[in-house]
Amino acid sequence: MSFAAVTRLELRRLAVRPLAWALAALTIAWLAWTFVLGLGQFLGAQVKLAAVADAPGFTDLVAIPLLAELVKLSFLVVPLLTMSLIAGERRTGTLALLASAGLPPWRIVIGKYVAVLAWLGLWLIATLAMPLIVGASGSADWGKLASATLGTGLVLATLAAIGLACSAATAFPAIAAAMALIITLALWTIDRGAQAAGVSGGFLDWLAMANHLQNLLRGLVTSVDIAWFAVAIALALTLAIRRLGADRERQ
Amino acid sequence: MIATALLNVAGISRRRAGRTAVSDVSFFLNRGEVLGLLGVNGAGKSTTLQMLSGALKPDTGSIQLDGRDFVADPRIARQLIGWLPENAPLWPELSVEEHLQAFATLRGASRGDARAAARRIIDRLQLGELRRRLAGVLSQGQRQRLGLACALVHEPALLILDEPANALDPVQVGELRKVIRERAAAGSAVILSTHVLAEVVAVCDRVAILHDGRLRHDAPLGGSGGGKALEATFFGIATGAAA
Repeated sequence: MSFAAVTRLELRRLAVRPLAWALAALTIAWLAWTFVLGLGQFLGAQVKLAAVADAPGFTDLVAIPLLAELVKLSFLVVPLLTMSLIAGERRTGTLALLASAGLPPWRIVIGKYVAVLAWLGLWLIATLAMPLIVGASGSADWGKLASATLGTGLVLATLAAIGLACSAATAFPAIAAAMALIITLALWTIDRGAQAAGVSGGFLDWLAMANHLQNLLRGLVTSVDIAWFAVAIALALTLAIRRLGADRERQ
Repeated sequence: MIATALLNVAGISRRRAGRTAVSDVSFFLNRGEVLGLLGVNGAGKSTTLQMLSGALKPDTGSIQLDGRDFVADPRIARQLIGWLPENAPLWPELSVEEHLQAFATLRGASRGDARAAARRIIDRLQLGELRRRLAGVLSQGQRQRLGLACALVHEPALLILDEPANALDPVQVGELRKVIRERAAAGSAVILSTHVLAEVVAVCDRVAILHDGRLRHDAPLGGSGGGKALEATFFGIATGAAA
């Protein structure tokens, strides 16, 4: 199964790439610090919270803000992780080797995508381990945490697909990273202008990624939000596959 | 001969960077045959080889590989073609052994078969000492040998070598010639692109000369009267005397 072979090859490369390790170490250290601070504040506010009816709990005040912090970091981490996946290979000539191995573009793109998803999955699990360990004492709202985890996972998968599409579009990894960052920020904030003009509920609201994540972070799982992420991922991967397929014609 | 040829190239052309890099090139190649592809810089050799390897699609023309349309379905390259591009592109983060296993699995071998194939080619090309070394720290000659090993690991029916003797020392060049002849004796067809005429004389059965993207000469080497005659033909074409 050659797409699995591409995944294995990419995972091996990620495993020995200093950038991947540096990103993992620095971001997990930052997230651990955020978690400790959030937990400290939560414990310090216990007396006040006890006096409030339906007060927010550990999940609302510690676990979900931690996942929201991971999403913010991912705006930078995912483009850095994906920038070389295709652009770097195109630059060094190894992409042509993959093509000459008779691999159709979709197998190359999906193989690489699955490898990045595996890395991001481990990153999410390492982050999630912190609230899971504390929440195991019984104070977590598991349903809400599951919904927020799903939302975070979908954002990571979407950003990975966008990063891969940008990497497929150029031979320069730095340009791919910048493109992915700009597209991500644009998708995140595209409804701000409409909101400032007093318009809401339109197409731009639907287009903004932040709105779909917010629902999931609140524990609200709707098919509209899931479909938005699925469409965004499918669109980005299709663009990457088409661009890679055009390499045989364009070079 | 053409009907039974492993490779049949008919009228392939390709434009690159706004100019015609290859124009109406046709030739065939039988199993067990070694074809030397000669030409000055910019003659269209690498573009031709990229089209034959499946990395580039011809604008026009057809390529039949083992009787199948290779342009329409480049997937048939998977097990039939081994390609060593110019400058042997490699993944710097992977070791020699990992490269060979990766190439074997990409060509469809199971993990166990890939390990066995890697061991075989490591022994054959005497890469044992470099087995665990990362490609990023190899010398140019060692990279070239690893690139050759990657092209050979799945024992392809068609071996395409673009300047394989680059950066090799004379002993390694001798070894390369032996490997090429071995593959030909085993029934593989080999295309050897080089600037070095002596290289062609030493290992090739036939020689094709490209100039300005066009095939200007395609004849058995013996028929062209050996090295001196080949030199005269080549310089005649390259300088325009034979135009």
